[in-house]
Amino acid sequence: MRLSGPIAIVTLFLLWEGGVRAFGIPEFLLPAPSAIWTDAMRIWPTVLNHTLSTLQTVLLGFAASVIISLPLAMLIASSPAISAAIYPLLVITQSIPKVALAPILIIALGANELPRVIVTFLVAFFPLVVASVAGLLAAPPELIELARACRAGRMQQMLRIRLPHAVPFVFGGLKVAAALSVVGAVVAEFVGADAGLGYLIQTSMAFFRTPLAFAAVVILAMMGMALFAIVGLIERILFPWSTSAQANIPAA
Amino acid sequence: MILLSGVGKTFRGRDGGEVQALTGIDLRVAPGEFVAIVGASGCGKSTLLRLVAGLVPVSLGRIEVDGSLVADPRADTAMVFQAPTLLPWADVLRNVTFPLRLMGKATRETEDRARALLAKAGLAGFETKLPRELSGGMQQRVAICRALLQQPRVLLMDEPFGALDALTREEMSLELLRIWGETGAAVLFVTHSISEAVLLADRVVVMSPRPGRIADIVPVELPRPRDFAQEAHPAFHAAAQRIRATIYQRGAAHAA
Ligand SMILES: Nc1ncnc2c1ncn2[C@@H]1O[C@H](COP(=O)(O)OP(=O)(O)OP(=O)(O)O)[C@@H](O)[C@H]1O
Ligand SMILES: [Mg+2]
Repeated sequence: MRLSGPIAIVTLFLLWEGGVRAFGIPEFLLPAPSAIWTDAMRIWPTVLNHTLSTLQTVLLGFAASVIISLPLAMLIASSPAISAAIYPLLVITQSIPKVALAPILIIALGANELPRVIVTFLVAFFPLVVASVAGLLAAPPELIELARACRAGRMQQMLRIRLPHAVPFVFGGLKVAAALSVVGAVVAEFVGADAGLGYLIQTSMAFFRTPLAFAAVVILAMMGMALFAIVGLIERILFPWSTSAQANIPAA
Repeated sequence: MILLSGVGKTFRGRDGGEVQALTGIDLRVAPGEFVAIVGASGCGKSTLLRLVAGLVPVSLGRIEVDGSLVADPRADTAMVFQAPTLLPWADVLRNVTFPLRLMGKATRETEDRARALLAKAGLAGFETKLPRELSGGMQQRVAICRALLQQPRVLLMDEPFGALDALTREEMSLELLRIWGETGAAVLFVTHSISEAVLLADRVVVMSPRPGRIADIVPVELPRPRDFAQEAHPAFHAAAQRIRATIYQRGAAHAA
């Protein structure tokens, strides 16, 4: 891990703090990091509970995305006919605003964790499917021919050539999905939750406790960054050959 | 034994037009025979190997290996492609053992044999390297080891030494001859080098382009084991001269 990332973040906070003080910006508009910190620390057990609640939704939604997207991508990549049938359905799920979908799901499924996880999944899974399908289909024809020369059937070509070839693409999709899971969880919490950082933001703003709302936003950002970093770390540990191949991936 | 009779191959282009890559190919390769194929670029050499490998179907005629019609890739046929075609995610050792593992034929000594082959190819110590950590010539040598490890009855090699420097090329040629002598595989060996073809082969198939067909088959009357001293042999010159004449005459006829 290079140091430039942390340095950039610390610099950002310092500029923020300095700017707020220098220009005397009122706290309800933009609180300084120090004010955010003191406010959050005052009720830290509550903040921690909300964080854990959101983290649970994020992780469950992200896990659902991974578990469903990868087999789905293999199915789509296995035949043009299946791809032509499934892709339009996926695009439809992406065209529906999740904020509109969330209340419907909550009415149908009850105000519990399930609709929140589903919304998180719906927000996060699509880029993962698209990236994985792209990776599976991008396997070089020479490698497919090599497998065919070794009498590999379609299934073996998929598992032994296409799947490993798709790993860098899949991780590109996983990183996007990790960041989007956080977005999805908050969207769901905005609509129907009695805990979580999204809920904390709403209640704080209702009571003009802007620093607390900002604290929730900062924690969400850190959560997204941490998930992104963990996915990158897993990639480097399990698939060391993959990171260098990343250069070939178009930005998702 | 490989038998090709009246083999033709026509590709349908994307624009609907047809490319006649090969026509009227008749060839019989005895078990354990080494046949080299030379010819201008685009005359269908790679296509011929792909047909024998069972990777693409013939348009006309028939291809048999050991009396059975080639419709699919066979377990006893191994191919060295024109490009190394290594799995970028697997290390050298796993690349070499890949075909046997894929076909479920890997045994306990597979890995030892692979290491021994790699050592012969000058790749000892590179077993755990990834393909991108190797030079182009080293990658091609890995691909050759991969084919040899299968101990095929039919070995198809498409310009396997194309990416090698002259020195490694000569070394690998002799090593290939030695291993071929041990295994007794029938070899179809595509090359652009006339001297390489003569040095290695029992017979040299000379192909001419548009459409690809056999212009001449030149027997090489050099004793085995072969080595580079034989390049001074009159039989070497005779064969090389005849091949050159065929290629040149075709070229001249085309230009006229
Ligand atoms: N898959 C394909 N689809 C369409 N045309 C093809 C295909 N493969 C080969 N051809 C055509 O067949 C002809 C012979 O190609 P081939 O690759 O066999 O030549 P080659 O003798 O191996 O050439 P080189 O020495 O350059 O490797 C060429 O005209 C080529 O355009
Ligand atoms: Mg070729």
